[in-house]
This record gives sequence, structure tokens and C-alpha cells, in this order.
Amino acid sequence: MTQVLATYNIKGGVGKTSAAVNLAYLAARDGASALLWDLDPQGASTYLFRIRPKVRGGGRKLVRLKSDPSTLIKGTDHPRLDLLPADFSYRHMDLALDHFNHPTRRLARVLEPLRAEYEYIFLDCPPSISLVSESVFGAADALLVPIIPATLSSRTFEQLVGLVDGGPQVLAFFSMVDQRKKLHREVMEQLRAESSNVLETAIPSSVDVERMGAHRDVVAAFAPRSRVALAYAALWSDVRQRLADK
Amino acid sequence: MMDLLAPDGITREEVRDSLLRHFGVRDDGERETDRTFYDTFDGLVRAAGLAVVYEDGRLTLVDQDSGFEQASLDAPKPSRPLLAAELEPGPLRDALAPIIDVRALLPLVHVRGREHALRLLDDQQKTVVRVTLEQPAAVSSSERLSELRPRLHLSVVRGYDKELRHACHELEHELHYTAANRALLDEAVSAIGGTPGGISSKIAVALDREQRADSAAALILHRLLNVIEANVAGTIADIDTEFLHDFRVSIRRSRSVQRQLRNVFPPSELERFRAEFRWLQQVTGDARDLDVYVLEFDQYRVMVPEEMRADLAPLLGVLSRRRLAARAEMASALRSERATTLYPQWAALLERLVALPEDDRPAAARPIAEVAGERIRKVYKRMVTMGRAIDDASPPESLHELRKLGKELRYLLELFGAPLYPSDVVKPMIRALKGLQDVLGRHQDREIQVAMLRSLRDEVSGLADRAGALMAMGALVQRLAEDQLEARGEFAERFATFASHEQRAQVRHTFGTP
Repeated sequence: MTQVLATYNIKGGVGKTSAAVNLAYLAARDGASALLWDLDPQGASTYLFRIRPKVRGGGRKLVRLKSDPSTLIKGTDHPRLDLLPADFSYRHMDLALDHFNHPTRRLARVLEPLRAEYEYIFLDCPPSISLVSESVFGAADALLVPIIPATLSSRTFEQLVGLVDGGPQVLAFFSMVDQRKKLHREVMEQLRAESSNVLETAIPSSVDVERMGAHRDVVAAFAPRSRVALAYAALWSDVRQRLADK
Repeated sequence: MMDLLAPDGITREEVRDSLLRHFGVRDDGERETDRTFYDTFDGLVRAAGLAVVYEDGRLTLVDQDSGFEQASLDAPKPSRPLLAAELEPGPLRDALAPIIDVRALLPLVHVRGREHALRLLDDQQKTVVRVTLEQPAAVSSSERLSELRPRLHLSVVRGYDKELRHACHELEHELHYTAANRALLDEAVSAIGGTPGGISSKIAVALDREQRADSAAALILHRLLNVIEANVAGTIADIDTEFLHDFRVSIRRSRSVQRQLRNVFPPSELERFRAEFRWLQQVTGDARDLDVYVLEFDQYRVMVPEEMRADLAPLLGVLSRRRLAARAEMASALRSERATTLYPQWAALLERLVALPEDDRPAAARPIAEVAGERIRKVYKRMVTMGRAIDDASPPESLHELRKLGKELRYLLELFGAPLYPSDVVKPMIRALKGLQDVLGRHQDREIQVAMLRSLRDEVSGLADRAGALMAMGALVQRLAEDQLEARGEFAERFATFASHEQRAQVRHTFGTP
């Protein structure tokens, strides 16, 4: 059965794309067929895989089910890992979704024909709360929520858990962590104590992640023994465990 | 995916230079390859568009078209025929089991060579086509090398078909590569004298309606003899149970044609061959029955209450021992001179059949459509008469007799009906017949299974763990007898479909004399 996993946070710049591309890569490396849909019009995931951020017919045709998504998919340079690219028109996806009676079920319907082909479908979501994110909640089995351990983040996280209540499983993990900072350590300890939704593994802040843009590849592929790549591997194993436990 | 054959004398540098004019090229280096391909005797893996490859300690299932790996398993190189059930549980077994079922994987061909991998890149430095320059050689079982023509293997990256076509076009036009019309695997199999696609036991012989009946019979019987002979070695070696099954089906079909078209043969010679084929069927019967008992043992297991299932284990032991004994006896019969001289003698008769005098072969020169149609109509009519006479008081033998006649009709329809008559008549008729035969078969099988279990009672009584086993066998006998009754209950409805007014009218109309 296909698992749809969305990396999501209301805030930007918290490590969503980095998590999405690395986890999708690791899923495929372990033998599963994986698709990553880059829903962010900025197209960072698409750029990392060296694929042109262009989708024939744009986002509007996709959500209207007028495009066959399987013909828009591109193979990455990694076996079993495919990408549904970003397109600049995705910035208007909210407006396109607003036309439908049940906009929040729309993305699930777009993904429906792809379920037979992929064991995992990752959604790399743009930051913000909008119809797009609500539609993502309607399509995903789990939200993977990166959190920078700073004061405001726990409040944002609580808001999110309230927002998706009864929807997908919420799996949060700490991202861009600097263990030398007392504040990071304290916030992590506190949030772990308060919520069972927070995963064990934390992703360290790392220059290797920043180097992904220059390499145009995922860190788990070009520096698999680096600290951050090992952290992503541990995170992927945590995520799979939680999905299996559910 | 595209395979291109190299023109004589082309160098790797020329290929790279030509591609460099249109793409970025990344060199992934050269390596030695040593692969052994596996498939079932009848080529089930290839028919599914896949290949099973062993290389570097890994057994892999690969999509023939895309070259993508579907599943794999770290395993030692298989040293004997390999059943799906013998594979370690996991993705490879899950993917293979529905494809090969009870058939064993056999080594097909061993291919050695050098492989040079290149990647074609677009202006984003993204891989758009994967290219492999291959210099393969097929290795025979006696280690003799047959060099195959060097080829270029191009595999598409999803969503970049245009780039693949572009690369192919350049290679064909600039460097005079030609599209390979056969897959490397097939070429390698041919090079060592094998048959690409394996040996099928299907009988699909094209016949002409006006063809002489004796020539049509000879054609079909010849093909059946090929299947019989092709399956002898695998039957004796006990590679998998399908060899014996296919062997016996072909013997039975041959006997049916001998009986139904007896008037195209010289009577005295036919008499002798009929006796010999009957003998072949008899000497293989016990082994097949025991094959089926062991294969279907899991089905018996679930027929008894859960707490008794483990107690059936001694029964499986007894059956497996008996099976081995029956197989040994069968193998010596199949190796005997009586068996081995039979096939060429039968082939010789089929070969000269058409030229023989016709005075004692009244149907020999009649058109096959007429003769076969007549037989189909007659056997169908007899079945209808026999089936109508069956009621609740009829003995089990009457159902058994009807089933035997049903097999004759089925073979007539499959071997002669299908190539000679409209498929919109023949196919539904076979389906209705099959529906009836399933019920009759279940009825008869249960009868035999109950008798078999009763006959094993004494042997099981001598075992240490007899008490539970005998109880469980008792429960199984009861369930089998109940199922036999159920099958009998379903007979009337299936027979009504088979013998319906419309079906009878259609048989008269289609197979009747003009």
C-alpha cells in the first residue's frame, strides 16, 4: 500500500526540502519505488535533481485532472526515485483549488492513479497555511514536520497539531540543531516531554546540507558517511517504525 | 530501451565523440561481467517480460524492457533447479512465485564479457540516457565461448524519451549502428543451441478445413510426440512436477486422438500403439497422483480443524516416501527399451501414414473438418444422453464415465475444434464443458483421495505418533466425503448449462453434416 508523506511547516527555511529529498532518496535506496512531488513553486527539490521546473499544462490542469500525472514524471539520476517537478504556476494553486466543492480532497485525487506504481509518495510543500496545505493534509498519511528548537516553534507546533486533528499522523523532528546552544537543548527536552509526536532523531545544522545546492544532489548520496546523512538515515528508520506501529 | 548492433571495426572513442556532439557524456568506467540467466523449462519468466540473473552473489529479477531491477536476493549461485518455495522469503520470492508457480528455475545461459557504461547528460548535467557498450560472449556448459556481436544498450530515463530517440538517431545515421531485432539474452541462448522462450507444451497447430484427416491427425500427433519427448528427461530427473504433468497430458491427448480418429490408421498397427500408450499412462499414474497429494497437502491441512493440523505431518511423511518410491519405479519404466523405442516407431508411422493404402482406413482421405465435426457432435450427444441418465441414485462410476468422455470432447475441441471452427462457438462450449468437468473432477478426486487415505491407515498405524495422525486423517476423510457430496449437488446445474437447448442446437448447427 502506498504511503503519502508530506514535509510541512507553516514557517519557511526550516529544512523541509532537505528532509524531503533525502528521505525520498533513502526510501528508494532501500529498494522501494518513490516519487517526490515538488509542490513549492520555488522548485528547490527540482533544482537539486537537475530537472527543469516545468510541467506541461501547469498546476491548474493537474488539479483539474486534465493532465495525466504519470506522463509528467521525470526519472532522477537515482534508481527507483522519480520526481513530479515544480512549476511556477503552482503559486496560483490556491485559486485553482478554490473552484472545487471539496478542494481539500483534490490532491488525493491527483495522486490516485500513481498509487499503483509507488510505495512512497513524498510531498514537498510550500510554507504557509492555505488551501494547498489543507489539500496536502487531505492527501497525506503522515506529516513530517521539521522544527528548529527555538522558543516560538513549540507554539507553532501546537497550532499545527490542533489544525490537522483527525487527519494525518503528525511526526515532528528537530531540524538545524546546534547542540552547543543551550536554548536548543532546552527546547528539545521540553517539547519531547510534552509531546509523543516528536521523533528521537534530530537533524544537525550542517554545511553539508548547504553544499547540496552546489552539488545539485542529496547529501545522503554525495556524502553518505557525513553526520547529517547518517542522521537522515536514522530519521528515515524512525519514520518507518512509526508508520508501521500505527 | 533500445539495443543497437555495432558496425564492424568501430571504436569506443568514435562512439563517445559522436555522442559528445549532442550531449554531455559522463564515463562510469569499464567492468567485467559474468552473468547466468535462469528461466523455467517453458520460459515463464521471459513470457512475463522479465529475466532472472545471477551475478556477484545476487539473484535479481529484471524488467527486460527497461532493465530496471524488480527484486533481488543475496544468495549463493543456485546449484540445482530452484523452486520459488525454496527461495528465502522476501521480495524476490513474492515477485517470482506468481510467475513460475510450481515450475523450477533452470540455468538458461551463461554470458561473460566487458561492459563500458556512459551517461548522456543534458545542459543541466542531468542524466537523460544510460548507454552501455557491451562485448558479450555466451559460454556453453562445456565452457566453449561463442562471441556475440558487440552491442550498445541504451536505456531511457523516465520522461526523457525524446533524448533517447535523438541519441539512437545519431548513432544509426552517423556511425551506422543498426537496431538489434533480438534481445541479447535470446541471441546468447541461440548461440549455445538453446531455444529462446523455452519449450512450450501448448499445442497450436494450424489446420485447413479441407485437409485430409490422416494428414491433420499426423500433424497434431507429431506435435504431441514432440512434447512427450521434450518432457521425458525432466520427468526422470524430477526437476519439477510439471514435466510429468505435461508428459501425461500429451499421452492422454494422443490416446484420445488415436481413439477418436481411429479410422485414419491401419487397425492392426494402431492397436499395438494404443496398448503401448496405455502402458505409458499406467506406469506414470501413481507418481502423478502422489505428486498431486504432496502439492495439495496444504489444502488438505486447512480442511481439518486447526488443532488437528499438526497431526497430519506423519501423513505427509508417508506420502513423500511413497512418492519417491513411485518416482523410482516410473523412472526405470521410462528408461526401458520398451519406452525409448516406442517414440521413434510412432514417429515413423506418423510420417508414412498419408502414403499407406487406404482400404482399411475409411476416414483417411476425408476432409478433417468433416471428420472432427462428426466426432465432436457424436461425443457431445453421448455425453448428453449419459448425463441425463444420472440421478441421485446413480453410482459414482456413472459420473466418472461421464468425466472420461468429457475429456475426449475437450481434447477434440481444443485440438481440432479451435483451429477449424469459429472461436465464438468453440470457446464458450469449452467453457461450459470446463464448468461441468470441474465438478465431475472434484467428485472423482475426492472419491480417490478417500480411498487413498483408507489404504494408508495400516501404514500410519505402525508409526510412533499414530494416535493423533489417525484422528486427523479421520477428520480429513469426513471433510473430503462432504465435499464430494457438495460437488454432486452442483452437478445438475452445470450439466443443465452444458446440455441446454441452445447449446444442443448450436452443436447440431456448427458441427452437423452439411
